[in-house]
Amino acid sequence: MTEASMHTFEIRDYLRQELMPHFMCPGCGHGIALRALLWAIYELDIDKDRLAIVSGIGCSGRVGAYIDANTMHVTHGRPLAYATGLKLARPDLEVIVITGDGDCLAIGGNHLIHACRRNLNFTCLMLNNEVYGMTGGQVSPTTTVDRFTTTTPLGNHEPGFDSCKLAAAAGAGLVGREITLQVPALKNLIKEGINHPGFAFLEIISDCTEIYGRKNQLGESPEMMLSQKASTRSDVYRNTVDQPFRPNAFETGVLARNDRAEYADNYRKHVEKTMDVLKSGD
Amino acid sequence: MRVSTSSAVEREPSPTTAAEPTNVLIVGVGGQGVITVSKVLAQLCLQNKLKVKQSEIHGMAKRGGAVFSHVRFGREVYSPTIPLGQADILLALEWAEGLRWLPYLNPETGTFISDTQQIIPPFSCRNRKRGATSNYVFRSVEQVKQHVPNSYAVDATGMAEGLGNPRAANTVLLGMLSTALDFSVDDWQAIIAQSVPPKTVEVNRQAFLLGREWIQSDAHKEEREQVEVAKPPPAPVVDDVVIDLEITEAWCKGCDICVKMCPERCLALNSSEIVELANPDACTACRLCEWLCPDFAIAVHVHKKETAIA
Ligand SMILES: Cc1ncc(C[n+]2csc(CCOP(=O)(O)OP(=O)(O)O)c2C)c(N)n1
Ligand code: SF4
Ligand code: SF4
Repeated sequence: MTEASMHTFEIRDYLRQELMPHFMCPGCGHGIALRALLWAIYELDIDKDRLAIVSGIGCSGRVGAYIDANTMHVTHGRPLAYATGLKLARPDLEVIVITGDGDCLAIGGNHLIHACRRNLNFTCLMLNNEVYGMTGGQVSPTTTVDRFTTTTPLGNHEPGFDSCKLAAAAGAGLVGREITLQVPALKNLIKEGINHPGFAFLEIISDCTEIYGRKNQLGESPEMMLSQKASTRSDVYRNTVDQPFRPNAFETGVLARNDRAEYADNYRKHVEKTMDVLKSGD
Repeated sequence: MRVSTSSAVEREPSPTTAAEPTNVLIVGVGGQGVITVSKVLAQLCLQNKLKVKQSEIHGMAKRGGAVFSHVRFGREVYSPTIPLGQADILLALEWAEGLRWLPYLNPETGTFISDTQQIIPPFSCRNRKRGATSNYVFRSVEQVKQHVPNSYAVDATGMAEGLGNPRAANTVLLGMLSTALDFSVDDWQAIIAQSVPPKTVEVNRQAFLLGREWIQSDAHKEEREQVEVAKPPPAPVVDDVVIDLEITEAWCKGCDICVKMCPERCLALNSSEIVELANPDACTACRLCEWLCPDFAIAVHVHKKETAIA
């Protein structure tokens, strides 16, 4: 994309402006993730009528409601299941799921591994803020050990999922991670996910400043974003000998590619076979 | 960067009547040959049975890094570094580096010899605004002369270019340095010939003589007085674009992200915790505030002047 067109991206063209300002708390990283998504959609020149956003329940799920396109706000933990049905029924649509760490990994964990296993061509953005933000700050499957939440008043003692490793192991076509501070890089990663002809799972490290940040004294949004940067390691450095990063840093960028057969073709063949069997009356 | 101190000669018991050593400070930026120049001088001193100590900072191979070398020689030398204000000669391969080290020169008896060449490092421009001037230090030759009467500014690089090899500029300066010291021309030339790449021996021989003659010969008197240092170019006038920051106050939640993340510190929160453009002149239209605002409350518009909104 040329610089000129980058500069003509007007986010308002993609927002339901009558719903603005949105309901997210001051400094919530979910808004930045939304910008990156809309910017990617603009740069890929996806027609709004062909765009279908499916989102679950949570602050993250609510993000989808502000997009001026076809949107489905579905039951908690099930956006991947709805998206699977939608994409199979309407392969012409560009389907994008917006979900949270609680939505996607806790109540919806099963749907995630099966979406990865099937490898149907749509994209999933999981906004990971390490907490159940919408319901007041309960522990989530990605909460860092020893952090405080309303359900872990003495600190979290459970290990968290590395959702990218989980998705890659379950067979997702493309797996990536980015932080909200790196907006252009995040936008590019989302574009890559959308372009990938298979299931793309993208973890976006977001921040819940108001609840999680405050409870754990992680500072205001700028501090939280900068500490996220300090604890990630860009894939640019993956093959370098000298890695000036702490060993437990999360990698960002495209983390796995799995060029497996996409699901829809086989599914359609299977449908034909079934119809043949039905017609022949056997 | 590495600081090395080499004592070229074993130290003898201190003679009670040790003459003060001669102090030569050679400075420049990485890649110019400061170390070569100081090694030539140190070798020459050894050959003339003098004690010599040389101490340098090098390793700044990337242009822009400061490089210096202290050379002290005489009947006895104890400390490897020249105290402030006690250098007898300051030989600079780059103009601003010469100015930087001026305080080391003895203002009354010292000699200042500097190439007028200016190598402007990128970090001398701290202002990222389009058309900003750099902070590269400027002093005219006259200003330096007020500080150190015995000063020579010379376009050594230009002279070496005239001989067909600008890299011989440091040998031109060695020729000039030789006029201030008591060593024979033959000794200088022999050591220079050993120290430079074999293919460049002849051009360096000529460069040395050219530099020496430039200071000694009356034929160059007028030329010597006319040397000027280029003034840093004035800031280009940038008026082709207008930056217009559109703030949607109704959407701002006062989270402070843009205020803290703006590299130019243009933004501030007002008394109602709503963002405002406090320093419009500093804005470079980098768009970080637009990208990072979770509430889409800032849009950066860059208009070409013709279409600019007044
Ligand atoms: C079936 C069901 N169970 C529980 C809830 C309550 N609930 C609403 S949002 C939420 C957690 C959302 O957390 P996450 O996905 O991390 O999103 P965030 O709010 O942090 O962005 C829960 C448990 C629900 N709405 N439906
Ligand atoms: S509760 Fe947390 S996740 Fe939800 S809007 Fe507020 S900051 Fe964002
Ligand atoms: S980032 Fe946006 S919401 Fe936050 S203070 Fe700036 S303009 Fe306001």
